[in-house]
Amino acid sequence: MSDWLLVDGARRLLADTCTHELLQAAEADGWSAPIWDALAASGYADLAGLELADAVAVLTVAGEHAAPVPLAEAALAGWLLGESVRGPVSVVGPGTFGALSLHSGRLSGTARGVPWGRAVERVVAVVDRKAVVVATALATSVERRTNLAGEPRDTLVFDRARVEEVRPAASDLNERGALTRAALMAGALGAMARLTIRYAGERRQFGRPIAAFQAVQQHLVSLAQDASLVALAAEHAARAPGFFEIAAAKQLASRAALTATRAAHQVHGAMGMTQEYRLHHFSRRLWAWRSEYGDEQRWAARLGAAVASAGADNLYPVITGGSAAM
Amino acid sequence: MLFEATDLQEGELALQREVREFLAAELPRGTFRPGLGMGAPRDRAFSEKLASRGWIGMALPGRYGGHDRSAVERFVVTEELLRWGAPVGHHWVADRQTGPVINRFGSEEQKQRFLPAICRGEVSFAIGMSEPEAGSDLAAVRTRATRADAGWTVTGTKVWTSGAHASDWFVVLCRTGEDEDRHMGLSQLIVDLRSQGLTIRPIPFLDGHADFNEVSLEEVFVPDELVLGAIGQGWSQNRSELAFERGGPERWLSTYLLVEELVRERSDEFGERALLLLGDAVARWWGLRRLSLSVARTIDRGEAPAVQSALVKEMGTRFEQDLLAAVQELVDFEPVVEGNSLFERLLVAAVLTGPSFTIRGGTNEILRSVVAKELGAL
Repeated sequence: MSDWLLVDGARRLLADTCTHELLQAAEADGWSAPIWDALAASGYADLAGLELADAVAVLTVAGEHAAPVPLAEAALAGWLLGESVRGPVSVVGPGTFGALSLHSGRLSGTARGVPWGRAVERVVAVVDRKAVVVATALATSVERRTNLAGEPRDTLVFDRARVEEVRPAASDLNERGALTRAALMAGALGAMARLTIRYAGERRQFGRPIAAFQAVQQHLVSLAQDASLVALAAEHAARAPGFFEIAAAKQLASRAALTATRAAHQVHGAMGMTQEYRLHHFSRRLWAWRSEYGDEQRWAARLGAAVASAGADNLYPVITGGSAAM
Repeated sequence: MLFEATDLQEGELALQREVREFLAAELPRGTFRPGLGMGAPRDRAFSEKLASRGWIGMALPGRYGGHDRSAVERFVVTEELLRWGAPVGHHWVADRQTGPVINRFGSEEQKQRFLPAICRGEVSFAIGMSEPEAGSDLAAVRTRATRADAGWTVTGTKVWTSGAHASDWFVVLCRTGEDEDRHMGLSQLIVDLRSQGLTIRPIPFLDGHADFNEVSLEEVFVPDELVLGAIGQGWSQNRSELAFERGGPERWLSTYLLVEELVRERSDEFGERALLLLGDAVARWWGLRRLSLSVARTIDRGEAPAVQSALVKEMGTRFEQDLLAAVQELVDFEPVVEGNSLFERLLVAAVLTGPSFTIRGGTNEILRSVVAKELGAL
C-alpha cells in the first residue's frame, strides 16, 4: 500500500506544473527546469529514499503527466548505489554494458542513451556489476541525442575520467530500469485512455458524439483494458519486485504501448497527429519507453525461458506465486 | 483506478495449498480426462467430494449449508479446479450463479429447499435465458407465463441450454406481463427439467458433442413457490445474475491446460517462438489473474464491480482465443480427433470449441458497447 498523501501530493503538483505550454517548451532540450525545481522543492528529487511502492507510485503519476524530468533516473541512481540520492542525476543504461571499462579508478568508453546526460552533473554507470559515479563535466564529448518522445538520450564519451565512487551495484539495473518504465507507462496509458474517452464524448460527427459508434467504442474499451492491466501489473511489481513480476509488468506495458497508442490515435483522427494537442506527449513517450530496458519481445523471451525450465508442473504455481515460486 | 491491487492472505494461501494437495491426491495426472476450463465434463461423484470439503457454495450462508467463505476464497478454489482440468460440469452453474441468485432473491422456503442440496453437490442447474429470437438481446424473450391456479403456466422455447439433459432444474427468464417497456414484465421461474410438458432435444455441437439443448415448454405448470424473487423483477435480477457470470478465472483459463501440456510434452524442442509464446502467455495470465482477484476482493467489500467484470471477461476470452491461435501456428502437425497425446486431444477440443469462448455469457461485441457507456464516454 503506497503512501496516499505522498502520491497525491505529487499528482497535484504535477497537474499544476505540467501544463501543455511547459511540456511544449521542454521539447526544445527535453528538460523543464521549472518542473524539476518544483518537484525538488517538495522532496521528490530523491525517490530512492522512499519505500519502493511509493517511488513507483510517484513515477506512475509522473507518467500520467508526461513530466519531462529525470525522476526515474534519480530513483535508479539511488537504487544502484544502495542509498538515498538527490537528483538531478542520471544512469548509464544497460545498452552500454561492455562499452565502458574501469581501470585504476578511471572510466573510459562511450556511454550511449544517457537520459538527460546534458542536463545532469553526474551519472551512475554499471561496469562489471559495480556502480560507478562520474561527473559529466569529465566527458570528453556530449553528443545530443533524443528518443521518440524528445527526451534527451545523449552519448557521453569518457577517456580515463577519474570516478568519484565505486561500489558493488546494489540492484539489477535491467530489472529496476524496466520497473521504472512500466510505472511511467502505466501512468501514460491511464492518462491517454482518459483523454481519449473524453475526446470521443465531445467530438461530434454525423450529429452525434463519435463515442456513439460501436466501432469507436471498441477502441475505448481496449484502451481501458490496457491501462487497467498495466496499472495493476506495475503496482504488483512494486509490491514484489522480483524477476518474474518486473518482467511480466514490462512485457505487458510494452505490448500495451503498441495496441493502446494505435487505438487512441485512431479515435482522435487528425487532431491526434498535431503538436498542439496533448495526445502526442503520451503516445510518443509510450513508443520510446516501450523499447527502453527491454521491449515486450525481450522480456517475453526471458520469461518464457525461465518458465520453461521451471517445468510444466510449476507453470501455474509460478503464475500465482511469481518469483517466490521459481 | 478501476482495479485495486490485492494479494492473497495467509489463510487464502493455505486454502490454495489444500486444494492443490486434494487434486494431486484425488485426480492425479494421467488418471482422468481433463477438460478445458469450465467446459470440463460432469462428474457428480467428484462434485460431492468437493462438497464434502466445503468447496461448493462456499460463499453461501452456513445456515443454508454454505460455508460463509469469501468471493476470494471461492476464486482460489475455482482457479485451481479449472487449471487442473477437473470435472466441474455437474455443479458449475449452481455454484457460480444459481446458488448466489437464490440466496439473494429467493424466498426462505426456496433457500432451504435448494441451497443445502447445491452445497452438497447434489442438484445441478442449467441456464434458461437464450431463445431463438433472444440471444444478446435478452429482453426480447418470448417464453410466456400466464396466471394459473396457485402458479403459472409456461409456454415457449429456450435454446443453447448447456447441460439441460443432465441437470435437475433451470431458471427460466420469461414474460409475465404485458408491459410496454420490454424490460418490465419479465420474471424468473425455477423450473423442474422433468416437468410434464417439457421436452429436451439435443442440439449437437459442431463436433457432434452433446451439451447444447433446445428446451420446449408446453403449458408447463410452475407453482407460485418456485417464482424466483418478485414477479416483474426478472430483468434486474437477471442482470445481477450475469454479473456473477463474469470476471472469474474461467474467462482466461480455458486454454491454460493446453499450454501446460505443450510445455510438458514438447519443451525439449522449444525454439525462440515457443519461448516468446510462453513468456507472453504467463505475463498475461499473471496480469489477468491480478485483475480477476481484484474483482473478487471488491465483491467481498459488498460492491458490484460490473464494469470491471465485463472488462476482464472481454479481455480474458479474447486472450484465450489469441493463445489458441498462437499454439496452432506454433505446432506443425495434423491433429486427429482421437489424439495421440493429451496435448493433441486438448488442442482438438480447443479448436472445435474455441469460437464459443467469446460468445458464451454475452458476446464480446455487446459487452464492449455496454462497458463503453459505463466508462463515461456517453
